[in-house]
Amino acid sequence: MNQERINSVLLGITPIVLFIALWQSLISFGFAPTSLLPPPGAVFGKLAKDFFNGDFLHDIAATLIRLFAGFGIAVVVGVFIGLAAAVSPAVNAVVKPLVRVLAPIPKIALYPALLLILGFDHASKITLVTADALFPILLSTYYGASMVEQKLIWSAMAAGTPRWQILFKVVLPAAMPSILTGCRIGLVISCIVVFLAEMITSTDGLGHMLVQAARTFQTVDMFVPLIMISMLGLILNSLLHWLRSYLLRGFPEV
Amino acid sequence: MQVVSLRSDAHAESDPLSGRKPASAMIEIEHVSQRFQTSGKQSHLALSDINLTIEDGAFVSILGPSGCGKSTLLYIVGGFVQPTDGVAKVKGKAITGPGPDRGPVFQEFALFPWKNVLGNVMYGLRQQGVKKAEAEARGRKLLEMVGLKGYENFYPKELSGGMKQRVAIARTLAYDPAVLLMDEPFGALDAHTRTRLQNDLLDIWDRQRKTVLFVTHSVEEAVYLSDKVIVMSRSPGSIKEIVDIDLPRPRKRADLLLDARFQKYIVDIEKMIDDGGKDDL
Amino acid sequence: MTARGVLKTLSPLFACIGLLCVWQVASLRLDTESFPTALEAIKAIPSILGDKGSLLNILDSIRRMAIGLVLAVMFSIPLGLLMGRIKAVASFFNPLMMIIYPVPKAALMPIIMLWMGVGDVSKILVIFLGVSLPIIYHAFQGSKAVEEKMLWSGAAMGMSAPMRMLRIVLPAALPEILTGCRTGLVLALITMITSEMIARQSGAGNILFNSLDMAQYDTVFAMILIIGAMGIVFDAAFEKLRLSLVRWSQPRDDMPLSFT
Repeated sequence: MNQERINSVLLGITPIVLFIALWQSLISFGFAPTSLLPPPGAVFGKLAKDFFNGDFLHDIAATLIRLFAGFGIAVVVGVFIGLAAAVSPAVNAVVKPLVRVLAPIPKIALYPALLLILGFDHASKITLVTADALFPILLSTYYGASMVEQKLIWSAMAAGTPRWQILFKVVLPAAMPSILTGCRIGLVISCIVVFLAEMITSTDGLGHMLVQAARTFQTVDMFVPLIMISMLGLILNSLLHWLRSYLLRGFPEV
Repeated sequence: MQVVSLRSDAHAESDPLSGRKPASAMIEIEHVSQRFQTSGKQSHLALSDINLTIEDGAFVSILGPSGCGKSTLLYIVGGFVQPTDGVAKVKGKAITGPGPDRGPVFQEFALFPWKNVLGNVMYGLRQQGVKKAEAEARGRKLLEMVGLKGYENFYPKELSGGMKQRVAIARTLAYDPAVLLMDEPFGALDAHTRTRLQNDLLDIWDRQRKTVLFVTHSVEEAVYLSDKVIVMSRSPGSIKEIVDIDLPRPRKRADLLLDARFQKYIVDIEKMIDDGGKDDL
Repeated sequence: MTARGVLKTLSPLFACIGLLCVWQVASLRLDTESFPTALEAIKAIPSILGDKGSLLNILDSIRRMAIGLVLAVMFSIPLGLLMGRIKAVASFFNPLMMIIYPVPKAALMPIIMLWMGVGDVSKILVIFLGVSLPIIYHAFQGSKAVEEKMLWSGAAMGMSAPMRMLRIVLPAALPEILTGCRTGLVLALITMITSEMIARQSGAGNILFNSLDMAQYDTVFAMILIIGAMGIVFDAAFEKLRLSLVRWSQPRDDMPLSFT
């Protein structure tokens, strides 16, 4: 069992090591000039050095604030509307066509409009993140809540749970696995969108760092924010994974 | 085994050997019909003009082929489904919705996966406003009664089917319903576990004498457990016959299996169901 | 069809009209030059689509998107299916995918442009990268969930391993794969627009931001309408195709719960 696990971890590390080795060898054997492709050592060295740089930390903070604000609003709004649509036919009749129209629209196309209406500051980026993360969360909440086993609800009602409490005491916890799946998708989308919005127009944040570096052809600095956003995504994802296994400890097969 | 009394009122304490206290109607079903809308304008008559009275403290089984509406009838008594026509009453009052006087036990267990075993059993008590400490104490006692001492902190997913159903029974007994509504409760269990749970259920019933409405498709199970077996037929679902099971209690499976009266009940009832089947064809 | 059914099919249309009304009222209320009304935006659409340059630009975008998407589908489905059935393949690729997943693919545009120039190849490559991961992921999930006994039955009938993959795993995983493709389609559009916004060379995303820079606000909003409509139409068309391909699969039941 343990040997099997070690093997699978080793297998997983292999492509990453190979990737970095290929990267290094492209430079070592002179296939790519360092002005176009900086050596991995230089990139990771710069990344480590940047962690003691106030500007870099400021950029990370700006990105994180937008990410969390946008994602947080999406979770609250998405879960609320998703639950409401699952339990109320009237809400369902309104929400369903709206979602069908709004979900497939590339939200990033709304960004210029948001800029014009909300200005170039945090608000437009946060709204964009919310708009993008909202639909996966809303839809999975809705599907999770509409598939709650009817007999769970009956059991709780027979035990004397008032109708209005059923939503919070049965439907919400029973839909939790599905809700958290939606949140995980929403989180990754948030990471991606916040970065892109910052690339398109911003004065700070990781995305802005990349664009700035691209303008001045600082290739090393172009790779640093990309690696940073990947690391942020990984960290946030594992935090969510940990939260998930705690919240869903009673559910079969997490 | 220690006898745990869960009912504070006196009528539960009637001695099983000295016979019943004067019979009073616990459940009355009057002219109940249920029509389900199928696709489009068509509808399907699941229950047609059912009339039935179930006495307090009786163990009554409903038996019939699948699709005869036996579960629907149980759900109507539970208040989960509103009948299209007629009225169902419990203790003389019309049923308008689910309530803690009628506790369901489902074939699917329907345990709350996010709560551990003790949490599941305490749920109804907490819902009735019982203080946490007391609810916990009563929950532990109940779990002991159904033979699950030591499993308090397990989650349902960690239990076998039989254990899950024991938890579900304890969860329902916890809020002390006057009527137990059992919807094929042992249908998903293997034969051995099924027999053990049948015996345990009879034990509990002997002590608490709750009214039990028990839906099953096993003739043997119905005859073994009940005072009365209601045989239903299909399309439309209606009561075909009501058979009084006049076998002594407490019942022992080993004795009954050799008992000619027991065997005859089974054969007779199986014939009734078969006849119904021919009518359909 | 019943009156109810008609109402149900038309409901997305009502939703569109409702949204446009909300927009109209909001812009009349706010009354700023930079937020034109819905009617003004709609009026600007014909002038964009009528302009040969813009139209060619948009069609070019769609062509690149289609090529990127098709390449991604051809690459991702076999890889995902293999990952689902062969454990070593999954352990090999999974961590790599986890690292790549949160990286915005459109953000690679400046780097790829540095290497490959601003031509079609860069843009198609970015779309390919953006679309591949979700399709791989869904194909992986779908093929992992295939009932083992179905494969045993296939083996007992004498099917070879590649045959089982093609004849059993692929169709069994098809509903899940198509869900992935649907996500991929929307993502392709998003990646296309975004990379054009970042590269600012040509295409629909470029028109959008150029008009923003030149303060042609009605063109900005008209372009948003066009891109939004593209999203809705592509998605609806694909959904139709998907439903006809996996008619046998259980539809998702969306009856509201009954306790209210």
